[in-house]
Amino acid sequence: MDALIVIFITGLIGLFTGLLKKPTLNLIITLCGLAVAFALQLNYSFYQSPFANYQVLEFNVHQLYFSLLAILFTAVIVVGGFGYFKRDASHTGDYYGLLLFSLCGAICLIGFTDLFMFFLGLEILSIPIYVMVGIKKQDVLSAEASIKYFFTGAFATAILLFGIALLYGATGSFNLNEIRTVIQSGEYHTSYLLIGMLFMLGAFLFKVGAVPFHFWGPDVYQGAPEIVTAFMATVVKLAALYAFYSLFNITFQELGYFWIGALYFAIALSLFLGYLGALKQTKFKRLLAYSSISNTGYALFALLSTSNSSIGSLWIFLVGYGFSTIALLTISMAISNDDDEIAAFKGIGYKHPFIGFIMLISLLSLAGIPPLTGFFGKFSLLMNAYSNHLWLVILALISSAIGAFLYLRLIVLSLTKDESDKTITLNFWQYLVLSICAIGILGGGFILAI
Amino acid sequence: MGFDPLTQTVLSSSIDKMAFGLTLNVGYDSLGLVMIMLTNAIIPLILLSNWNRELAGNKLFTALVFFMQLGLLGVFTAQDGIMFYIFWEFTLLPIFLILYWFGAKENNKVLFKFFIYTLVGSLAMLLSFIALGINAESFAYQDLVNVQLSQKMACWVMSGFLLAFAIKIPLFPFHTWQPATYTSSPMAGTMLLSALMLKMALYGMMKWMLPLTSEGIEVMKWPVIILGAIGIVYGAVIAIKQNDIKTLFAFASISHLGLIAAGIMVFNTAAWSGAIIQIINHSLISIGLFLAADILEKRTGTRKLDELGGIAKIAPRFGFWFAAIVFAALSIPFSAGFIGEFILIKELFSFHALIGILAVSSLILGAVYMLRSYQLSMFGPPKLTSFQDLTWNETAVFVVLSISILMIGLFSSYIIDYTAPAIRVLTAITPSNQLIIE
Repeated sequence: MDALIVIFITGLIGLFTGLLKKPTLNLIITLCGLAVAFALQLNYSFYQSPFANYQVLEFNVHQLYFSLLAILFTAVIVVGGFGYFKRDASHTGDYYGLLLFSLCGAICLIGFTDLFMFFLGLEILSIPIYVMVGIKKQDVLSAEASIKYFFTGAFATAILLFGIALLYGATGSFNLNEIRTVIQSGEYHTSYLLIGMLFMLGAFLFKVGAVPFHFWGPDVYQGAPEIVTAFMATVVKLAALYAFYSLFNITFQELGYFWIGALYFAIALSLFLGYLGALKQTKFKRLLAYSSISNTGYALFALLSTSNSSIGSLWIFLVGYGFSTIALLTISMAISNDDDEIAAFKGIGYKHPFIGFIMLISLLSLAGIPPLTGFFGKFSLLMNAYSNHLWLVILALISSAIGAFLYLRLIVLSLTKDESDKTITLNFWQYLVLSICAIGILGGGFILAI
Repeated sequence: MGFDPLTQTVLSSSIDKMAFGLTLNVGYDSLGLVMIMLTNAIIPLILLSNWNRELAGNKLFTALVFFMQLGLLGVFTAQDGIMFYIFWEFTLLPIFLILYWFGAKENNKVLFKFFIYTLVGSLAMLLSFIALGINAESFAYQDLVNVQLSQKMACWVMSGFLLAFAIKIPLFPFHTWQPATYTSSPMAGTMLLSALMLKMALYGMMKWMLPLTSEGIEVMKWPVIILGAIGIVYGAVIAIKQNDIKTLFAFASISHLGLIAAGIMVFNTAAWSGAIIQIINHSLISIGLFLAADILEKRTGTRKLDELGGIAKIAPRFGFWFAAIVFAALSIPFSAGFIGEFILIKELFSFHALIGILAVSSLILGAVYMLRSYQLSMFGPPKLTSFQDLTWNETAVFVVLSISILMIGLFSSYIIDYTAPAIRVLTAITPSNQLIIE
């Protein structure tokens, strides 16, 4: 709760210091706020909050880990986007404020114990993003993306609300624990509950961007500025996946017979449609959007298993996926790839070996090549799912080979010898971000050793 | 540190298991030690033969070769299934970059085929490891060996391993990546691939695949041995018709390795001793052959046999040492190949006479393609006016190779005795029928 308040106040301050048009000051304030929030979350269990506890946000150890990761991702994204903010100084404050407000929503989504808080968190998460996607006002694609995301998002929210209403009608409560007790006792209205749950499942698949509700992804990712794309691909996905997990795998666990079948199809389709769609793309962010659909498919494996370790696997997977995505988008920003062409990556690894190295490890991590974090994430997710869902695991491995082909093409493109005399320079902040990402990508496997 | 071949040397062993039963067990038995010594002997030879060539001073290239060595040593020392898999995949990366940066131009298509092919095989192996690890206490080697599988399950698990190993070796229907990859890669890349990376797969069959899924051997023996036998004849026949000397050696390699793989699948101590001798021998001769092919290519600008000829007259030293390696590849008596192939063919013969006959054909057909390649390139009317003879480093490589092949041929009993304890342990794992997991 305290972390949430700190983040919110930092966001407000950021919004107003933006008026001074001093991006460095803004960055420092934001990072300080995030650091304080990080420390508060880290000491959550040892620390007595001065505020009243309304029991709507509770953080157990998994939720703490997820919220820490969300804060860390946001900090890295904010730092990585500094060069971009400086270019567009009139909007710096907007970005900082909106990113932090959105982070508040993400933390609500991770810690909720109550469907009210859940809905609030989802809206707080989404609305700043609708704004940020359309922040490039002169750009037609950005406006299109914003409108598309807003309308489809509003539609999904409506369906979600309908689902929540039906759920309330069936169980008589908004509280997750009470709902679970009712479900375990069997005293509920079956058809209301199942239909409500199905509606919620649809809305969730929309939010995480899984097939068959993935159509908004490529357009929105492409239209949004890189910063916002990175935020959507990491923090939003992380929060939505955790909420998905805690609602379905914990609260609705006993009804697994009903929703696992639907999820099974969503995962199987996501695994293939994402990568197959990405093969033909010429725009970089569109490609990332398609590959993120497939990666969502992997992440959803965590929901299939009732074992305790599945949430840990999801966390490791998201570490690998998040840092890789942030690194790739930071590189895309660093080469000022405004047209978003994949061809612009040609030879950058050869020109600038550091970028080449980061591209190499982040793409290989996405492809799931050991010993990078992406491998350990996929490995542990598949380990958990193996005993009950063997065929899905085999499908995942096949799709992983398609993905490897896709990422390998990018690696090869960025490492080709380039004799042209264009130069690439990274500023200090980008070096910092890429180094942090490299640590995350290379060292994630050691998490398993703890 | 002394080494007793009768025991397992443990370099690191984790008492607490990590999440998902991963462990950090590292160690080697005498089989592993032989492979480690082979790796550490071959890498300097590769670098020495690369001396004075355009890549010799390239820091990136040398770093990648050492990364390759790291991966290989990891594969040979891993005592944990997932660690084995990690190092196995890790080796793919440096070799891919070597082939990509320093190989022929416009070889992307070939490289993609190579990478995806091997990756698909590795993913199947990962699935097999997961299938075993789910039922085991941990991924530690001994725990995986202790898992009892039903015969059907064991066959599935073994097929997963086999796909990975058959693609790397390569066995007959999975070999299509190999010739093009060999010809488009730089000399050192080809040497790394044929002398060390393929041996990883043969080692994997002996150390991991067969002991772990010993319940399925009786069923899987036949298909693999037949594929190996087809590979022996197929590789040799294709090699006879080749005009490109590097492609010729690539197909010869398919033929030789088919014999080793078939021998390993016979699954007894004698055949495995022969396989180990032949693994070492093949590493040595493939270095020699690809060095000779590269010398021809660099100094004449062509690899086509019909454009070469009469070089032995201009460059007698090269003619002599190339002949020495060719004779070693023919497995003449007193060479290491004689011992290795003799044991393997004898064991295949006692396995089934027809397979034995197919295996023997490797000797005859081998003589045809090897001597043909030597004759067409070195003898006949000279088509070139000048040909620079061997430099000191090339001579050194050929001398070291020839002497090692001769010494191993004369004193092969040392290697056989040395690896015997490990082989006895690995082949003694017999299927039992308790606690079967479907």
